[in-house]
Amino acid sequence: MWGRTLQFLPNSKDREGLLPWVIGVMLFLCALSVASAVAIGTGVERWSRDLASNVTVQVIVADADERSRQTDAALTLLRATPGVEHATLLASADVMALVSPWLGDMPIDAGLPLPNLIDVALDGSTQINMQALDERLKATAPAARLDDHQAWLAQILELATVLQLVLTAVVAMVILSTVAIVIFGCRAGLATHAEPIAIMHLMGAEDSVICRAFDLRYLAHGIKGGIFGIGFAVITLWTVSSMASDLGEGLVSSLAPESSVSLWLLSLPLFAAILTMSTARLTVRSALRDMM
Amino acid sequence: MITFENVGMRYGMGTEILQDVSFSLEKGSFHFLTGPSGAGKTTLLKLLYLAHRPSRGLVNFFGKDLATLHRSELPRMRRRIGVVFQDFRLFDHLTAFENVALPLRIKGAKKIQVADHVEELLSWVGLEDRMHAKPATLSGGEKQRVAIARAVINKPDLLVADEPTGNVDPEMSRRLMHLFVELNKIGTTTVVATHDAELVNAINAPVLSLDKGKLSLTRAPDHSDEGQ
Repeated sequence: MWGRTLQFLPNSKDREGLLPWVIGVMLFLCALSVASAVAIGTGVERWSRDLASNVTVQVIVADADERSRQTDAALTLLRATPGVEHATLLASADVMALVSPWLGDMPIDAGLPLPNLIDVALDGSTQINMQALDERLKATAPAARLDDHQAWLAQILELATVLQLVLTAVVAMVILSTVAIVIFGCRAGLATHAEPIAIMHLMGAEDSVICRAFDLRYLAHGIKGGIFGIGFAVITLWTVSSMASDLGEGLVSSLAPESSVSLWLLSLPLFAAILTMSTARLTVRSALRDMM
Repeated sequence: MITFENVGMRYGMGTEILQDVSFSLEKGSFHFLTGPSGAGKTTLLKLLYLAHRPSRGLVNFFGKDLATLHRSELPRMRRRIGVVFQDFRLFDHLTAFENVALPLRIKGAKKIQVADHVEELLSWVGLEDRMHAKPATLSGGEKQRVAIARAVINKPDLLVADEPTGNVDPEMSRRLMHLFVELNKIGTTTVVATHDAELVNAINAPVLSLDKGKLSLTRAPDHSDEGQ
């Protein structure tokens, strides 16, 4: 009949019944934001790693013979450079495939002066001075352009950082909103239960006894809301993950949460419960201190 | 045991509800508190059961000055005071047993002690067969007896009753007053606020009368029947 806590508060589902749902929605948004921020970080890191191990050399010259001569010279230089695993000239068909989204399908012998593209794979263990390599390339093949993707990658990293900051702000706002909602709920609860609290005080109950009753109630709200929110978030992320994996590799597929992130997300209901209970405890304690 | 000296009470910046109230309650005494509506009875009772501190004046409870009493000391002090309200103020979601057990549970009594005491007390007020009933299913008289049992379960030094017979029929009023007299006989200092002149006249006890915030002793105790 009695636990260690005196649960003197009557059930008031009509007044507090929505609180777990609100906490759940907040946790759902929080989980999605955290998962997205982590996934963006992971995706960009994966991209950076992939791009850092590859550079591209374009040989851009209108005359086909000259283009061919400079390409050979560039290939010879690249293959002799320490740290280059291999340098491969992309076939004309592959170059056509790359430009076809913009130019449409056309025969290889359409007469379009396409540059020669050399895919250079780096071994990753030897540090290469890209600026020096670019200068040596230009000395050997003046029409050669070295692209180590850094300019483009820097923009992507900047965008990713901004996105992560925005998502972190969203998480912070969601947490603060949850705290505010719990404080409002708690104050409403204190007003609703003013008479039972007064009677408990008159019977000699210490503030801690009254606080514990609220603690338990709000812990239960936090757990309920947490489980609902995280359950819904897991379903959503799993759906996104499944759809993304069908698209193959790339940024979209990297947005799917990894297992370690998923495990971390599963701890969020506990976080919600502790946050809710702590907020309620502070609110109730502060209110009780103002009573005689 | 309890002394009020020149006590004044006002709420916020309002007018004084109580003005220069002075009296003392000796251990084991029985007092009625009467007065018209708005005279300040409820305010005085609130001071007596430590729901408020006075705006001015000296209040001494069990040898301690209320003005210097720290908030953390109040719960222990309040456990020495039992309160009965006109509107019972029972917890509707708890049974009669659970309501009466609350003060003991607050004090940290063991389960077995709680059960023994509560059952004994509910039998004393004639509710041994209604222990597990919730207040909604009890009559007014039964509710008030549960409230009295709850007020006295801790064997308080002071019992304060605010219109305890206000919501019960005359026959039940007499039975309830009999309970208060019984409690007073075993040494509980008792203050009963009532409008019921019949009840006041039925018991030979001093009457504290409040009118427009001023207190007077309108009937000194009659000791002629002492020793009977």
